[in-house]
Amino acid sequence: MQALLSLTVANIKSFVRDRQALFWTLAFPLIFIFLFGAIFSGGSNKTKIGWADADGTPASAALHQVFQAVPVVELVEGTKDELLAKFQHGDVAGLVVVDPGYGAAVAAAQAGQGAPAQVAVYTDPSQSTSAGAVIGLVSGVLAQANLGNRPPSIVPTLLNLKTQDLNAVSYLVPSILGMSLMQLGIFSAIPLVGDRQKLILKRLSATPLRRWQLIGSNIIMRLIVGIAQTIIIVGIGALVFNVKITGSLFAVAGLALLGAVTFISLGYVVASFAKTEDSANGMVSAIQFPLMFLSGTFFPIDVMPSALQGVARFLPLTYLSDAMRQVMVNGAAFAPLAVCVAVLAGWAVVCFGISARFFKWV
Amino acid sequence: MTGVVTDTVIRCRDVRKTYGDVHAVDGVTFEVGRGEIFGLLGPNGAGKTTTVEMLEGLRSPDGGSLEVLGIDVAAHPDALKERIGVTLQTAELYPKLTIVEVLDLFRSFYRRSLPTEQLIDFLDLGERRNGRTKELSGGQRQRLAVALALVNDPEVVFLDEPTTGLDPAARRSLWDLVEKLKAQGKTILLTTHYMEEAEALCDRLAIMDHGKVIEMGTVGEVVSRRFKERAVQFDRIEGLEDARLAAMTAVSSVKHDDGVVLLYTADVPATISDLLAATETLGLEASNLTVRRATLEDVFLDLTGRALRD
Repeated sequence: MQALLSLTVANIKSFVRDRQALFWTLAFPLIFIFLFGAIFSGGSNKTKIGWADADGTPASAALHQVFQAVPVVELVEGTKDELLAKFQHGDVAGLVVVDPGYGAAVAAAQAGQGAPAQVAVYTDPSQSTSAGAVIGLVSGVLAQANLGNRPPSIVPTLLNLKTQDLNAVSYLVPSILGMSLMQLGIFSAIPLVGDRQKLILKRLSATPLRRWQLIGSNIIMRLIVGIAQTIIIVGIGALVFNVKITGSLFAVAGLALLGAVTFISLGYVVASFAKTEDSANGMVSAIQFPLMFLSGTFFPIDVMPSALQGVARFLPLTYLSDAMRQVMVNGAAFAPLAVCVAVLAGWAVVCFGISARFFKWV
Repeated sequence: MTGVVTDTVIRCRDVRKTYGDVHAVDGVTFEVGRGEIFGLLGPNGAGKTTTVEMLEGLRSPDGGSLEVLGIDVAAHPDALKERIGVTLQTAELYPKLTIVEVLDLFRSFYRRSLPTEQLIDFLDLGERRNGRTKELSGGQRQRLAVALALVNDPEVVFLDEPTTGLDPAARRSLWDLVEKLKAQGKTILLTTHYMEEAEALCDRLAIMDHGKVIEMGTVGEVVSRRFKERAVQFDRIEGLEDARLAAMTAVSSVKHDDGVVLLYTADVPATISDLLAATETLGLEASNLTVRRATLEDVFLDLTGRALRD
């Protein structure tokens, strides 16, 4: 136990004193977030709201005019189905639907007969800022339309709809977390191969230190760094980019640990076949870049050609990032959470199996 | 077997190790007594390191038996590792840690260990105690490697080419260290391809080549068994063929070593007078002419036809 602890501390010291390792694992992901955050948060300040008028009466046209008069609202017009599709893809932040019979209901309500007319408002609660903006704007518009009518003749019916596309930063933060855990794990190959090349593993084999202690201390060190990465990335996402974490932080931490273990196991596969530190570096790059771009890190998988989607279906990072999005920001699921966990665990078991068979100590 | 060995701590019997078609170690047998400094001497690729690594439990032999401190190495390598100390040929360890940190790390691996301060004092590493290991000089790094081998106060210390790549001063200071270990009663097995190292340190030695032990004993025994003669040496002379040299009075053999001709002879004056007569007829002079006693270097050259450092 003492040996395991000492070796873990030694590994952490070596890691923290390695500026390059620190940069790639802690600073690099943040650069990504800030870069993409800046790209996507720029542009129009107007809130895009979809407007579908299925009623077509003077009353609905009047409400349309009130909406158009609001300077911070950009109305996107279309049928309900068209606009729901746009909403799903994140092209509009919310959707106002005026159903048939609205005009008659308004007239009745103003005459003091019957309930107020309903206007359906769709928002995605997982995007708290944009959903709040839409609800606030619609409420303001309706209040204006209701002026002088007591009781109000128009009320909003709030409908929640989970969109597939989150806003860019909400989409990106869980992805970047997944990506950093992937890098943290796969990069474990490089110092391990280096230690073997420099005969450090052989030197340790000449002491009573057990192999499980050596591997255990490496994994513990990486998991500690993984948790640090998670705290930093989630913290920056929440504090700087207002990404609202809808799920449990424990679930996020649990997924982070599982993801780190999965990719550490992949790192060990690399270490089993790479003979030199340089070749380990090359193999790590050859694995991490395709993973980064094919696993829906920067854009959703369903915008890719179907052949590449088929590839993405096998990649562990697809499932880690997807699970992170589900847990962190209530993102739409590519696969159910249980499936994601099972796929990651499966990868880990297979990779550790391969490493146990092929890893050479000297 | 030369020399009476009492209280044997290393026993190596007909040990074999094959890699593909290469017999890296091909039937090696020797014993080392308690408190001895025993040297395995030979050129690169002779099988020294493979032999030592089998004794350390790092490689398993394909044949023969290995026993250290009464422990069957192949059967109980973990029991052995508590009681031996090891240095490898490359001494690069945890470049980002300090000397004290690396020593403390290694101490945590053993049930019993010496205090860090004692190790630092003994190895004379005090001034660099808080320096990162990557900033150490070659000699300091090698001393740290020896310190790590002593962490558990081992009874047997294996040093694999401890002075390769060191400058003469660092080499000498490491020799002093090895002598200090011997004075503490430790048994030391070292490999080297430096003749003068073997002559300076080893109580007994085995000369290895192509995976076999080709000569064994004390330095004096090994040299005198091979050579009653002395060596007459001079710079190579164009036009003076080996056949003519070999025919000179009392010359037993002619060897070449890096532009220098060696005549091994039982009668130095007779050989030299023949040599001078021969050079005179050629109108030349034998330059750098010297006479010396045979050394391990001569033994090696005689045994293998190659110089050890090649």
